[in-house]
Amino acid sequence: MDWWRSFFRQESTHSRLIGVTALAALTLAITFVLPPVANSELAGGAAIAIVILGLSWLIGWSGQISLGNSGFMAVGAYAAGIWAHHHNTTPLVFTLALAIVAGGLSGLIIAIPSTRLRGPYLAGLTLAFAAAVTPIAQNFTSVTGGEGGIFLNSLVTPSWFGHLFSGANAVINANAQWTADLAVVVAAVSFFFMANLFHSRTGRAMRLVRDNDVAAELMGVDLLRTRSSAFMIAAAYAGLGGALYSLLEASVRPETFPLTLSITLLTLMVLGGIGTLSGAVIGGIIYSFSADLVAHVNSLTGVNPTSNLGANMQGIIFGVLLILTMMFAPRGLVSLRTPIQKLFRILRPRRQTPDLGELH
Amino acid sequence: MIRVQNLSVNYGAVKALRDVSFEAPTGQITAVLGANGAGKTTLLRTISGLVTPKTGSIHLDERPLVGVATENIARMGVAHVPEGRGVIEELTVEENLRLGAMAAKVDLAEGLREQYERFAALGERRKKLCSTLSGGERQMLAMARALIAKPRVLLLDEPSLGLAPQVTAQLMRSIHDLCESEHLTVVLVEQNAKSALRIAHRAVVLHLGTAVASGDATSVAADDNLRRYYLGVVVE
Amino acid sequence: MSAFLTSSLMHNIFGGLAQGVVYSLVALSLVIVWQSTHVLNFAQGAMAMFATYIGMTEIDRGIGYWWCVIISVAVGMIVGGLTERVLIRPLYGKPEINPIVVMVGFLGVLEALSAAIWTSSTRNIAEPFSQIFYHANGNLVYLSPFIIFQIILAICIMLLVAALFRFTRLGLQLRASALAPEVSRLLGIRVSRMLTIGWMLSAGVGAIAAVIQASGSFGLFPTNMDGIFVAGFIAAAVGGLESPIGAVAGGLLIGLAEQFILAYWSPNVAPLGGIIILVVALMIRPQGLFTKHAGRRV
Repeated sequence: MDWWRSFFRQESTHSRLIGVTALAALTLAITFVLPPVANSELAGGAAIAIVILGLSWLIGWSGQISLGNSGFMAVGAYAAGIWAHHHNTTPLVFTLALAIVAGGLSGLIIAIPSTRLRGPYLAGLTLAFAAAVTPIAQNFTSVTGGEGGIFLNSLVTPSWFGHLFSGANAVINANAQWTADLAVVVAAVSFFFMANLFHSRTGRAMRLVRDNDVAAELMGVDLLRTRSSAFMIAAAYAGLGGALYSLLEASVRPETFPLTLSITLLTLMVLGGIGTLSGAVIGGIIYSFSADLVAHVNSLTGVNPTSNLGANMQGIIFGVLLILTMMFAPRGLVSLRTPIQKLFRILRPRRQTPDLGELH
Repeated sequence: MIRVQNLSVNYGAVKALRDVSFEAPTGQITAVLGANGAGKTTLLRTISGLVTPKTGSIHLDERPLVGVATENIARMGVAHVPEGRGVIEELTVEENLRLGAMAAKVDLAEGLREQYERFAALGERRKKLCSTLSGGERQMLAMARALIAKPRVLLLDEPSLGLAPQVTAQLMRSIHDLCESEHLTVVLVEQNAKSALRIAHRAVVLHLGTAVASGDATSVAADDNLRRYYLGVVVE
Repeated sequence: MSAFLTSSLMHNIFGGLAQGVVYSLVALSLVIVWQSTHVLNFAQGAMAMFATYIGMTEIDRGIGYWWCVIISVAVGMIVGGLTERVLIRPLYGKPEINPIVVMVGFLGVLEALSAAIWTSSTRNIAEPFSQIFYHANGNLVYLSPFIIFQIILAICIMLLVAALFRFTRLGLQLRASALAPEVSRLLGIRVSRMLTIGWMLSAGVGAIAAVIQASGSFGLFPTNMDGIFVAGFIAAAVGGLESPIGAVAGGLLIGLAEQFILAYWSPNVAPLGGIIILVVALMIRPQGLFTKHAGRRV
């Protein structure tokens, strides 16, 4: 059973590569059977999962909180969008790389004053940043398209992929699945990098800084550098996720990045479990199907989805879930399975796996 | 009178107090002695309700104290002067005293006058922030703040800490006089066994959470073994 | 004199102060909560907005404006007290991130709930004083009876809060509970009650800010306090979160900064003013401009 355990603990780069590839392959296979609407939702979820992963890394591993990730998303999205709008034929990889750099840079700018701050100051400053980004973007109408945003059409389904489909809705099916597959691949690459980061020297230093910054400093860890690099990485992930999301939406608009998006991101991360890869996956899945979940709740409770209450059901549910999870299962929904785990442990005792999601 | 019976306190896996029993009679000073980490402070904190014991009982006269909230224990007449004196530095001398009288049913003006009479130095500094007070003055203020509520029990945690020897001697004398004049039950936690035993009527010696001796202060003071092994007093 | 009053400089100063006092009130309410429980209440603005909705919809039933203000403040205080009891109390001693996340969740719930109950469209409230600007020699002075009212009301509230903390028995107990909770309990002070009262007071002050904001030209809508909260937070943080005077001064400073950016550059960029002030202030003194002692609480 040793290989099994080492696989799940993701202790070597190989096992991480295999793990992420297997998960991605499975998801790609699923996209073949999903209806186009579900594939579009899945694509959005994959983009959001990337953002959640960055946030999870920042909060779970470096112990810094950010309420500004919707702002970093916007920076990445606008950078990619403005470029793609003018240079439509640029390879996607380059556009996304631009978003990563732009997001990371904005993160660095915020990090320089922020890393000297703790908890509430940091949360407030990042919130202020997120609140300022979209109005500022709207100010430069000639570049950002103002209120209306920028129209994008860089995600073109390649013809070889289109040929795989036939029938009445071939084009719709092909487009939806292509975007989903593309998003899944981008997410898989991001997850692989983060998995390695978790297990790297930087990752260990980060946890040390989170748990005891004085001890970390004594051991020669440069606190400012470690903290600001954590911020930069989280912002780069947000930038990438935001750009991917906007490319999928085929537009960059201010209204895509409201302050409430930061709340949504936080909720999804907390629900999935802070500081884990699986948490980001779960958060992304919940996001993908949140519209369906909300519709389900509306129909179960008999609320008219077009009524005021129905239209705001998602905000209410997410907020309540965030509060309840934080109060009763702060390590995420995953931790709720512990009673079952305990049962298994009694049936077959074995060594406990290390906790990554514990907050300190 | 404070009666402690079979008291055990755990901090997680650490047993801070094990099966401690003793009585602190009314009108007498009971010294609680022992080295660092013996459980002296934990004992006082448990009496005040800041720490919940695992087992055992504490009674003030006939009323049980275990399970009663700290603020209600204080309102029952138990004044606890914590380690480090607990003077609120950001407030003035008089504000600290007003706080002391707040929960008790006493006349504030009368109480202030009485305490300023007893501790003249405080009267002179009544409008000063406590952060400007010296160690001795802080100890005076902490005592005055406890006494203004007209307590029946006085719990003192290391009052001599950081004070010069002459100041300590003076402080011990005033604790003794207070106990007699106000007919107080005093529980005096001290690391400085010598000066505490000089004024105490009774003594309890704690060692790693266990009461290794209790009884008359004179007999504890006379026991060479206790002095040598637990109290760190050199036997001449 | 009148030429001076109608100058663009005075125009911007009046406008900045009018918005600044609202920021100051929010900042003050944040400081009160921070001092008592060391929680930065991210739902402060939303709680105040919610209370204002409840109070101000009573106008529809023909109840006078002033009664509605009182209802808003009372509802705000009740919501504040309940929040402390139900959402915050179980989190004492937990990592500081937990109450932040919970209050962010509460913010989301309140805004969504308000949009569900009262729709997200802007509601205009019949203000008690005219919003029409005064004139001097035919030129506009950026002052209306309403602006004068809002500045005076805010100052009165600040003085009331200061007097309460400084001169009353309750204020002394509140300060002691915030400064030294354990010692206060040993003195017989009901600290947990004080924490609840602190939250109630804070929410009451916040509700006043929301009432002023909603009665002004921007009206009331579920997210109308978002920007105000951010500015109020920055004001409180510039002062170091511990200092009521710092919070008030910070609020006025940010109000003025935003007004000048708005006038000389663009309204969209105005939020930048607060951020720049915060970043500069924190670079100079990370513990806040108005706090006496450095060091952090662990």
